[in-house]
Amino acid sequence: MRPLETKKLLTLIAPIELQRMLIDTLKRREIGGYTLVPCTGAGTTGLRSGMLGVDSNVLIYVIMSEQRLQRVLEDIDTLMRSGYRVKAIVQDIAIMPRKIAAEGAQNAE
Amino acid sequence: MLEAAARNLLDPAILFFVVGLLAGLVRSNLEIPQQVTKFLSLYLLMALGLKGGATMAVQGVTVGSLVAILAAVLMAFIVPILTFLVLRRLVDPFNAAAIAGTYGSVSAVTFIAGQQFLTKNDIAFGGHMSAAMVFMESPAIIMAVMLVSFLRRSRNEGAEGGNEASSQGEAVSALPSMREVLHEAFTDGGHLLLIASLCVGYIAGESGEAIMKPFVGDLFKGILAFFLLEMGLLVGRQFGESEFRLEPALTVFALVAPVVYAVLALGLARALSLSRGDAILLATLSASASYIVVPAILRYAVPEARPGIYFTMALGLTFPFNIIAGIPLYHALSGWVWP
Repeated sequence: MRPLETKKLLTLIAPIELQRMLIDTLKRREIGGYTLVPCTGAGTTGLRSGMLGVDSNVLIYVIMSEQRLQRVLEDIDTLMRSGYRVKAIVQDIAIMPRKIAAEGAQNAE
Repeated sequence: MLEAAARNLLDPAILFFVVGLLAGLVRSNLEIPQQVTKFLSLYLLMALGLKGGATMAVQGVTVGSLVAILAAVLMAFIVPILTFLVLRRLVDPFNAAAIAGTYGSVSAVTFIAGQQFLTKNDIAFGGHMSAAMVFMESPAIIMAVMLVSFLRRSRNEGAEGGNEASSQGEAVSALPSMREVLHEAFTDGGHLLLIASLCVGYIAGESGEAIMKPFVGDLFKGILAFFLLEMGLLVGRQFGESEFRLEPALTVFALVAPVVYAVLALGLARALSLSRGDAILLATLSASASYIVVPAILRYAVPEARPGIYFTMALGLTFPFNIIAGIPLYHALSGWVWP
């Protein structure tokens, strides 16, 4: 079996209107892979029922290295300081990689 | 007046709105899939544009229609200015600017309800009022964003201390530029579809309207009723399930300001010798607030404002007020000026 890799999972919860802005932020850090899930919920600014397009939230899942995560978190921090209502959750995860590292390369690590 | 108000309340579409409202308030599990709602709203915009364009093609573009559109544009500037001047005393300036943008723009569904009311009461109106609605959508957004840019500059100039200034400067860099905001505003899908449908309706004219009648004519009332059921549900849930509560002063504003703006619009319409039907629609547009397009842009362009405030005011209070009581009221007020 291929060995598990240790990575970071960044979960962003944001109003759907900010989806494009957040994806652009990730792209600027050369992150092109993510998973989007429309979601609903409630908070201090009221109910996000998901009944209208503009009344929905989005969950964005991104898996990345710790080094890259730090740069992305700095960008998210800048957005939050501007007033954007974004929640960022970071978790340590182990992932089964799609590509198996070459035997020699693995030994070098 | 009471007779017209009662007729409005007994309209199936309005009754379905009330049904949705009650279902939301009692926390019913009635659900309409989001994609269906999206289709319904696009359908209504398409039908509105096609009908308006076709009517304009039949009636022709006259000086009268241009004057009505001009009056609409004028109201689109007056409403946000007045809203900001009043609300900056009640809330912080960023929220005041966001609410000004919301109330300066318009609600297409309220406008459609106004048209239905006039049709039911045999009051004629021009197809150019659909074009007037399109022209009323954007000025308020532009004004709100300009106002917010000015507020940010003032805030940053007033900030003291190197650390604070540097923090603010960094924060501002995350905000979208005016060009990006305008791009969002003018490329909104619903906005584009409405403008395109107006053009198609105008080009296709009367024969095009006849071809499309089974889709945009016969089905229209039923689909409007279905959409209003959904909107009622949404409003009911905002009150039934949300913990967010508006300040009393803002609640009063959301219910009183529409009447004030409608009266101003009726006065302007009278001064410009518009027809009664056009005047009532102008009043309805001026009294309405955007709860889809503008809140979406504001979340992106004005993050300093609290979306719960402007969205709840526009959707939870002003929209149901206009649908249930406002439109018959503006009709009654117009009766004093257009006997």
